[in-house]
Amino acid sequence: MEAFFAIFNTDLLVATIRLSTPITLAAVGATICEKSGIVNIAMEGMMIMGAFFAVIIAYYTGNPWLGLVGGVAAGGIFSLVHAVATVTFHLDHVVSGAVLNILSFGIVRYLMVLFFGHPGTTDPIPVGLGGYQFAIPGLSKIPVLGPMFFNQTPIIYMSFILIVGALFFLKKTKVGLHLRAAGEHPLALETIGVSVYKMRYLGVVISGLFSGLAGAYLSIENAVSFTEGMSNGRGFIALAAMISGGWTALGSFAAALFFGFADAFQIRMQIFKVLPIPAEIFIIFPYIATVIAVAGLVKKSRPPRADGIDFMIEREDG
Amino acid sequence: MSTVKEDRIVLEMQHISKQFPNVLANEDVSIQLKEGEIISLLGENGAGKSTLMNVLYGLYRPSAGKIILNDEEVEFSSPKDAIEKGLGMVHQHFMLVDNLSVTENIILGSEPGKAGIIDYKSARKEVAELSEKYHLEVEPDAIIESLSVGLQQRVEILKALYRKARILILDEPTAVLTPHEVDQLFLVIKKLRDSGVSMIIITHKLEEVKAISDRVYILRRGKCEGLRNTKDVTKEDLANLMVGREVVLTVHKEKKEVTGDSIFNLENVIVKNEKGINALDGLSLNVRPGEIVGIAGVDGNGQTELAEVLMGLCKLESGRIYYKGEDISELTTKQRRNKSISNVPADRHRFGLILPMTISENMVLGFHDEKPYVHGINLALDVIHNYSEKMVKDFDIRTPGVDIPAGNLSGGNQQKVILAREFSRNPDFLLVAQPTRGLDVGAIEYIHSQILKMRDRNVGILLISLELEEIFSLSDRILVLYEGKIVKEFVPEETTDKEVGFYMTGGKKE
Amino acid sequence: MQITKLKPVFYVLAVISGIVGIVMYFSSIFSGFFFILLALIIYYLYRLLATDLKTVKSDIIPLLKNLLIPLIGMSSAIIIGAIIMALTGYDPIKAYKALFYGGFVKNWSISILNATPLVFTGLSIAFAFKAGLFNIGAEGQYYIGAMVATFLGITFNLPPVLSLFLIFIIGGLLAAAYNFIPALLKVKTGAHEVITTMMFAHIAKYLSSIFVRGMGGDSAGLHPYVTDPILDTNWLMRFKSIFPSANYRVHIGILIGIGMALLVNYILYKTTFGYEIRAIGQNKDAARGQGISVGKNIFIALLFAGFLAGFAGVTQVVGLDHKMYENLNAGYGWNGISVALLAANHPIGVIFTALLWGVLDAGGQYMTRTTQIPNSIVEIIKGIMLFLIVARYIYSWLGNRIKRKLGTRIKKSGGAK
Repeated sequence: MEAFFAIFNTDLLVATIRLSTPITLAAVGATICEKSGIVNIAMEGMMIMGAFFAVIIAYYTGNPWLGLVGGVAAGGIFSLVHAVATVTFHLDHVVSGAVLNILSFGIVRYLMVLFFGHPGTTDPIPVGLGGYQFAIPGLSKIPVLGPMFFNQTPIIYMSFILIVGALFFLKKTKVGLHLRAAGEHPLALETIGVSVYKMRYLGVVISGLFSGLAGAYLSIENAVSFTEGMSNGRGFIALAAMISGGWTALGSFAAALFFGFADAFQIRMQIFKVLPIPAEIFIIFPYIATVIAVAGLVKKSRPPRADGIDFMIEREDG
Repeated sequence: MSTVKEDRIVLEMQHISKQFPNVLANEDVSIQLKEGEIISLLGENGAGKSTLMNVLYGLYRPSAGKIILNDEEVEFSSPKDAIEKGLGMVHQHFMLVDNLSVTENIILGSEPGKAGIIDYKSARKEVAELSEKYHLEVEPDAIIESLSVGLQQRVEILKALYRKARILILDEPTAVLTPHEVDQLFLVIKKLRDSGVSMIIITHKLEEVKAISDRVYILRRGKCEGLRNTKDVTKEDLANLMVGREVVLTVHKEKKEVTGDSIFNLENVIVKNEKGINALDGLSLNVRPGEIVGIAGVDGNGQTELAEVLMGLCKLESGRIYYKGEDISELTTKQRRNKSISNVPADRHRFGLILPMTISENMVLGFHDEKPYVHGINLALDVIHNYSEKMVKDFDIRTPGVDIPAGNLSGGNQQKVILAREFSRNPDFLLVAQPTRGLDVGAIEYIHSQILKMRDRNVGILLISLELEEIFSLSDRILVLYEGKIVKEFVPEETTDKEVGFYMTGGKKE
Repeated sequence: MQITKLKPVFYVLAVISGIVGIVMYFSSIFSGFFFILLALIIYYLYRLLATDLKTVKSDIIPLLKNLLIPLIGMSSAIIIGAIIMALTGYDPIKAYKALFYGGFVKNWSISILNATPLVFTGLSIAFAFKAGLFNIGAEGQYYIGAMVATFLGITFNLPPVLSLFLIFIIGGLLAAAYNFIPALLKVKTGAHEVITTMMFAHIAKYLSSIFVRGMGGDSAGLHPYVTDPILDTNWLMRFKSIFPSANYRVHIGILIGIGMALLVNYILYKTTFGYEIRAIGQNKDAARGQGISVGKNIFIALLFAGFLAGFAGVTQVVGLDHKMYENLNAGYGWNGISVALLAANHPIGVIFTALLWGVLDAGGQYMTRTTQIPNSIVEIIKGIMLFLIVARYIYSWLGNRIKRKLGTRIKKSGGAK
């Protein structure tokens, strides 16, 4: 019983939020990307770029906030490659994503040697965002929910705001409506005079910015340096969360929370060794959940109709 | 009728030509549209009607010629420009986003609201007002997926009107509608005209031209063949102009006594479409050896499902299919083909050929695992090669060789590859769907004569075609398919296209 | 025709000469090149005698045409790589000298070792692509193959050849079985194989961790964990036993890979099964309409892809590692995607692209050791190369741009008249 309470307590839930934040951010970004009709499996690569550049900027300026901006921007710029490849050059979306993931490892390692003289782990930044933990007066005193939602670090707060922002963007704004139309019936959008290409570029870049922020969270908020492999497949878990969440922002958030919980639980199981089960069993949980989700066992989940389908305007001159 | 000045010309297309890499789709076409007028563009499939309208709507840029709108020369680089100048187009395949609401679809691209945020409240109000003004009733919050085709078309029209369209292009507007919906559409069109909207209707249906348009331009092979006032012209004249010759049987068909039991029977066949509606609704028919049975009907009345269920490509909900007295309802496509049932599918690019594969590979598609084309687990490539070369000769397929991809051939030659494959199997029953769609006259005549040759070899043939002329020139019996049922049977010599057309559109005689 | 009677003689001569040449080359005896050249000459001589010059030309010219874009892409990537290096303060000439010397000559044996598993995973992905499927999770099937090989390698104590044969077959079959659920879901519910096989790949990675720890080995706090070594009798034969001068690590896995590539090529282009696979990959509807069972073929294709990827894992364990490491991020499955795409999914092409990747990796390491230029530049060049070759639309896009520029210029000069 003691072991039970050692695992199931408020700390577990707080850890759930912390572990799910990067997944949430990348998954919500990817949702917007796929809503525009571009399949994105390159969140891992975009996260790595974000994490690395956040550290680089923070390291040289000494300011983690600038690092945050740098990380987000790096994710966005890197995602442009995906946009150019898939939208302008009509490359298969999955192929482009797979190449980008491979490419990101190479770029980061190359730059790491260039800046720090060795691969592996960068030098630590002077101060990370983890130090800016901020308890919202009053609200943070609420039992359980207080520590979970109102006594957190900056990017976690940002992620809450961004989820609401993403929902608002998709449901209430003109651009959001256009973006959704681009992923459902691109020709319909094009014929009324809105550029599908622009919407798809936008979708991809938003995803890049979100993934960049997720990366920054890993390197300058949850840690104070960049280590190769620190994203550890979270980009793919984000993909899993987006699919399990039925290609919706809220669903992605819920799935990410769930996967974060599985991760937090797994870590505790490893520490306390309550059951003689290998920890990996819990780690693979999100992947199995995703397979179940795409198998159609989760109702009402369908990708946007034109998701992954190339759109080419034929306006040749005779 | 209307109070507007009938003579003011709102739109003029002058000497428009459109050259595609391989085809001259429009050649020196000029049309005029007056305010509050309805004109038809009449022509067969491939006559260049849609290309001309796409040029007008800014989807294509003309190779030559100019467009004058309200006395001002315009150049559209995209539909957006055309929309801004007051043009609207209702496409044959609706440009609607399925999972958005009616309101969202209508306002898409011109949403009301400040700072990039959509003002849904006023949008809904505007849509409601608009639909009231033009008597186009539709629920503003309904999701498009849940609406019938007729209602979806209304949303398309509203979408154009919302953008203040004064000129409306309707591309084959009745193709997918039920007769009742057609009537309603015509009412809407008349109301729109009365409020001063000018309209161009693309069609290949003579009835429609007569029913609603003031003037009609006839297009044939990319050129304008004439302009008529609708009230002064007979349907026969229009038909002659449209096809460019007296409408006669293109091939000589000898009357033939058909005897013997039927080779192919369908009994009370029911097939559901993906929306769960009965696409075939208790359909029965029979085909005897040596006769061609023509299925006449407007597109979307169950033709696709009929072809699929015959070949075992979709689920038979209930009913039975008999071939030579044997129940084949549960057999796979492969098993049916092995029983000497052949099939020329309607969409040759999608269902007939594998375009990137070579002619010889396509020539044995479906029979590639039978002797003599197979040797153990291997393909007998030499045999296939020689067989293909023979077929190319026999069926007069124009190609530099049999090892080039089928996609490199012209449409007529592609169709000949399919005929070669299917006819050379010596079938006893043959399903032919839309065999001449989009082909030129020479190819059509060749294909028709081949089909008749098969009839003379005592093959039972079921012909599904949307071209009534084709049905008339080939069939020994005509069955009219309407809403998934055979509603009437005719002998071609004892009826007229008008009578058949009447039943095709749901007409009934007491 | 007398010459056709001699057909088998020419064939045998060409094959023998080819095999000798390849084996010599893989044993780092570079004069083997001349035997390979000889084999090609004999083959085309035979073709020339049996047919005529025109046919031979029509054999070769499309081949060269198909190589055009890859060559442009490769050289552009190399140039871009040079620019990146120059901009970041490295000497590109020195780098490339070391890279190609290391990859092709000095460490040729490492290049081959790198290429071997890539041939199998590349074939796996290329074959699936032919059926219109993206077996993105070859990495997972690789892990399964490796686990099976390790387990059986430790436990099987049978006559050497038989035991190896069984390890390959069982490893391949179980890797194929690992694709059973994705294949079933694809056929029954339409679940996209990109998602399912990718998820299964991640699952396999974690399962392998459990496996490695379970297979004992040196777990005395050493990280990464590693299994017990497999029995000596289960080691794959090495080139050294033919040519003593060969590198001691190079095993005949690459020959099995080439054999497999020929087999896959044969299946795809000569058999009815391959015909159906290609038909489905290019037009599912037409194939179905003519009575080809789409579900059955897709199912088998995914399983066969798993089988091929499993061979990669087996070869790696019985040929090179002789044990299995935990958290070994080899990425042969992921890199197999690049190899297949680069070869435009042609099985024979896969051999060459796998070797190219192997050369770049081995050369990159040598370059770093001798010139201190980080070998991750190789990863970047690889990525750029892939983009430039796979995104073929780039070239028509560029073509259109140039045409339009020229066009406006002509128009302008025409307007002046």
